[in-house]
Amino acid sequence: MNIRLAFLWILVGIPLLWGVLKTLENALKLFQ
Amino acid sequence: MSVSFLDREHTVAPPGYNRFLVPPAALAVHLSIGQAYAFSTFNLPLTKLIGLSSSAPGDWDLKQVGWIFSIAIVFLGSSAAVFGRWVETVGPRKSMFTAALCFAGGFLVSAVGVHLHQLWLIYLGYGVLGGCGLGIGYISPVSTLIKWFPDRPGMATGMAIMGFGGGALIAAPLSVILMAHFKTAASNGVLETFVTMGVIYFMFMMIGVYAVRVPAPDWKPAGWTAPAQPKQLVTSANVAVDMAWRTPQFWLLWVVLCMNVTAGIGVLGQASPMIQEIFTGRVTAASAAGFVGLISLFNMVGRFFWASTSDYIGRRNTYMIFFLLGIVLYSSVPTLGHLGSIPLFVAAFCIILSMYGGGFATIPAYLRDMFGTYQVGAIHGRLLTAWSVAGVLGPVLVNYIRQYQIDNGVPKAQAYSVTMYIMCGLLLIGFLCNFAMRAVDEKYHYRGSTQS
Repeated sequence: MNIRLAFLWILVGIPLLWGVLKTLENALKLFQ
Repeated sequence: MSVSFLDREHTVAPPGYNRFLVPPAALAVHLSIGQAYAFSTFNLPLTKLIGLSSSAPGDWDLKQVGWIFSIAIVFLGSSAAVFGRWVETVGPRKSMFTAALCFAGGFLVSAVGVHLHQLWLIYLGYGVLGGCGLGIGYISPVSTLIKWFPDRPGMATGMAIMGFGGGALIAAPLSVILMAHFKTAASNGVLETFVTMGVIYFMFMMIGVYAVRVPAPDWKPAGWTAPAQPKQLVTSANVAVDMAWRTPQFWLLWVVLCMNVTAGIGVLGQASPMIQEIFTGRVTAASAAGFVGLISLFNMVGRFFWASTSDYIGRRNTYMIFFLLGIVLYSSVPTLGHLGSIPLFVAAFCIILSMYGGGFATIPAYLRDMFGTYQVGAIHGRLLTAWSVAGVLGPVLVNYIRQYQIDNGVPKAQAYSVTMYIMCGLLLIGFLCNFAMRAVDEKYHYRGSTQS
């Protein structure tokens, strides 16, 4: 059950994390 | 996949099921449909389908293309209102599947529209069909999550609705990457991107369809018992959807949501030109895009933060903070612009947008507190019509007042001041409605069986 839990969270977490990092990358331009 | 797989009876969780498996299912749907917030990345490319590098005669203009998003938001609200009870009846799996079909189908119909260069097909595809996918997908996991997390309904729905904010953070760079990848001498890549996104989002939403479960009717979290003395403004009774919208509480909450969203959505849509015009010469288009990204991030984080906080401080108090702090921040924006302080200006808008997202994410738990869990998803669906109204009202207020100011000789840098004060007025109306909130009269309570 825990493997399934981790797998599901990773599956939705990776794209979200990618989106957040891309956004932060862009946001840095505001203070450069 | 057999049809019965989608039935509610096949989604009842077995004993010992880990309830933390359900939020990622909800997130899979909300992260997908949250793409809607990033649809503007297609606006310019859609105006260059014939000319490719620049608009040519016969190409659509921005005004025409801008209607695609507006239609989608209107259909989001109306489909959530119309199909809310159906979603409650058939359960989350079938409704998530339907949402995936509509949302992905919307992209595919729009791709045909791009191919034939027929704008009405895109209005019908992304606007109507996709909008219905947005509405059904938005409400489908809400009541399920509230039933799984009776001890933390704010946190649970906040987690899902956070996905709707996060979806834009994924979709904006993804759309740009896909369009660049598919770009050729004969195409700017929009058609291929629509098809690819339709397929990707359908598959991603299937994760939610597969993983979602409803708790057994008598299920409770281990070691948790419903408080014998419910908190103030937290009911242990239930109100059916057809009765809920006859209560003053429903309409007070409708205005609360509408005012909170109107204020936030107006600035969200105009954030890029606004910061460039207020800080003329100091903020470039690229850094303004960074500003939009940053406030979108706070829009997402605020959804989880404020909804989770509301479990501790109460829903009414949470909205009190939104409105009071919102009034302080909106009214300080003209001064911050005048002072020329970019970091303070950015910080103010980050907090404002966190409360905009927080307003969306806290409302399902507020509805649960006022009307019980019985048909909370359907009631939420009807309340989302406030979003449709705000989706038109907010941008219109900001755009028209700004234009009126400029036409009357006000410098661009100061053209937003009056708008900000009007937003304060809207927030004051929301504050008064929230202040007037009382428990629902017993005559509206549902006396029948609530097991479904």
